Amino acid sequence: MLTPLEIVKKKRAEAINRIVGKGYLSTKRVYVGMATCEIAAGSKDVMEVFQTAIKNGLTDVYLSQKGCAGRCNLEPTVEVVEEGCIPVKYGRVSRDMAHQIIERHLKKGEIIEEWVIR
Amino acid sequence: MSRKYSITICDGPTCLHKKSKELGAAIEQCLKEHGLTDKVRINLSGCLGMCAKGPIMIINPGYTIYGGVTAGDVAEIIEKHIIKNKPVSRLAIEEDHLYNRFFRVFGDVNFFGKQLRIVLRNCGIIDPESIDDYLSVRGYEALARVLTEMKPSDVIDEVKKAGLRGRGGAGFPTGTKWFLTARETSDEKFVICNADEGDPGAFMDRSTIEGDPHSVIEGMCVGGYAVGAKKGFIYIRAEYPLAIKRLEKAIADAKNEGFLGDKIMGSDFSFDIEIRLGAGAFVCGEETALIHSIEGHRGMPRPRPPYPSVQGVFNKPTLINNVETWANIPVVILDGAEWFKSIGTEKSKGTKVFALAGKIKNTGLIEVPMGITLRSIIYDIGGGIPNNKKFKALQTGGPSGGCLSEEYLDTKIDYDSLAQAGSIMGSGGMIVLDEDTCMVNIAKFFLEFTENESCGKCAPCREGTKRMLEILTRITEGKGEDDDIKKLERLGKLIQKASLCGLGQSAPNPVLSTLKNFRSEYEEHIKEKKCRAKVCSALLGYEISEKCIGCTACKKVCPTGAISGIQKSRHVIDQSKCIRCGACFEACKFNAIKRT
Repeated sequence: MLTPLEIVKKKRAEAINRIVGKGYLSTKRVYVGMATCEIAAGSKDVMEVFQTAIKNGLTDVYLSQKGCAGRCNLEPTVEVVEEGCIPVKYGRVSRDMAHQIIERHLKKGEIIEEWVIR
Repeated sequence: MSRKYSITICDGPTCLHKKSKELGAAIEQCLKEHGLTDKVRINLSGCLGMCAKGPIMIINPGYTIYGGVTAGDVAEIIEKHIIKNKPVSRLAIEEDHLYNRFFRVFGDVNFFGKQLRIVLRNCGIIDPESIDDYLSVRGYEALARVLTEMKPSDVIDEVKKAGLRGRGGAGFPTGTKWFLTARETSDEKFVICNADEGDPGAFMDRSTIEGDPHSVIEGMCVGGYAVGAKKGFIYIRAEYPLAIKRLEKAIADAKNEGFLGDKIMGSDFSFDIEIRLGAGAFVCGEETALIHSIEGHRGMPRPRPPYPSVQGVFNKPTLINNVETWANIPVVILDGAEWFKSIGTEKSKGTKVFALAGKIKNTGLIEVPMGITLRSIIYDIGGGIPNNKKFKALQTGGPSGGCLSEEYLDTKIDYDSLAQAGSIMGSGGMIVLDEDTCMVNIAKFFLEFTENESCGKCAPCREGTKRMLEILTRITEGKGEDDDIKKLERLGKLIQKASLCGLGQSAPNPVLSTLKNFRSEYEEHIKEKKCRAKVCSALLGYEISEKCIGCTACKKVCPTGAISGIQKSRHVIDQSKCIRCGACFEACKFNAIKRT
């Protein structure tokens, strides 16, 4: 019989497989802050923009929500992580900005400097 | 080379001792020689918790950690890593710790550089509603480890050795609490997570639960195993719907995967968690009141002893800890007590989460190692005070805490130093006040809160806070009397001594600490009838300056007819008729009316 430690390691391996299967490694990862504070600042709208874009054919993007990272005054935040690159965090993202992040950053790889949190 | 690098050097005490200052100087010198000063930014960070391998430096992007670096290694690192982008593997540390993953996935070094994230290790990193995400960051491994390798007494020893203290505010040693509950013999024991967060402006527990609910659940399972409990309660206020929803999902997922329920992961240990909703009474954060509320009674405290560890929920031995304390537990187990106690000060180990708010540039949720100075929090992480205003005070500990003046800015944060300075650590609210804040008014605000929330069971708290509030109100209305300060102090000390529970015992703190640190402002209010921050409207006077063009707007709005003057010439306020309502000030379009 497996020990609890062996069980948890097995479960972890399966979990990682599932996450990778969703495209975690091969693509750009987009995280939208979805804590109470972020939602109050309007992150649901932003999330919707990304969800709609994926539904309408945006590929190579791994979309996920995340908890509060602590940047209260800059919410809603959107983070774009690409393997081997500096993680990019955008602050005070609106619906319109989310569209532009899709067009410019996700599709063309351009980092929109003026919105990046420094 | 177009890419920008940042080098973060650990500025913690151990690294300083191991010559991190000299290392920094050597790096700067070397960068200058290669003409790279513009391309590389050097940051200092608080203790990164890898003291044994110090001095530590981190190069981003890529998050390469170098340990044991001497000035002699600098040239090699700069030439290989910065110029050729090939990390020097000889010096790189490759360890998988739970705590430091944060820096790897986040840029934004100014804000996060001085932080150390243990409790919030997964907040803002994983999807809180996915148990797969939690599993992938070594989730439930701590629980598996204690079930596989440790006896309950080993777990308690580990927590004791770590020096973890209760994060709810009072700072009682967590290991001792566990031990006291474990040694009781009873057919049934309970574990409680206190998530009844009520301080105005504090949201540490909400964010922890919303960002990483499983870590709290895992901590509670470990606690249940250590003290021999089979059932846990999470007491959370109904005002946190999203946190509740995520907890419910997390509990359901954990049950599905076999981390909660009967015979967890094939062991003999069974444990289940139930959520209980609070209706938002502040006093229910007090442990005995919280227990009454869970039992279905009215939330009122009772005298202790007996402590909950002996007689808690349904009169059974009960272990009750705060959200933040629980979230620390998996890290204590996996990274070990030895490592955990290397962070912090002599008597306070680990980190503390603070909700930074008020007159500060970067408001936010931060987690810092104990021992960091208040100055560093406000100016390095918080970015200082906006609009070039002057710092006046820092309010810590919410309505149970106090206000610290500028002279305390270099205080190193821990439970004892803050208490010594006249405030408390509290659950982690931190409000920055600038020169536009009236300290009497702030004290009144917090006292209003506690007066409102007093459950009314004991007279000192019920009556005392009311009387204090009356005195404060009359001071802010310009009707203060000469011995009011004395009365406030006498009443305050009496309430502290005679109240039944922590709510009353700490309710006078905001008043007493402002009386200690900002006494002159009280005196001005009482004797000179002046409010230097120009907040207390009854103490303000209005005057019309030469900027007045005689538009008569002020004259029209004055409810007492105190303003006279003819059209197109300067108007005058009759001070004996003026009731200081401020209507003229609002009405004037030419900035001609001055507050005095």
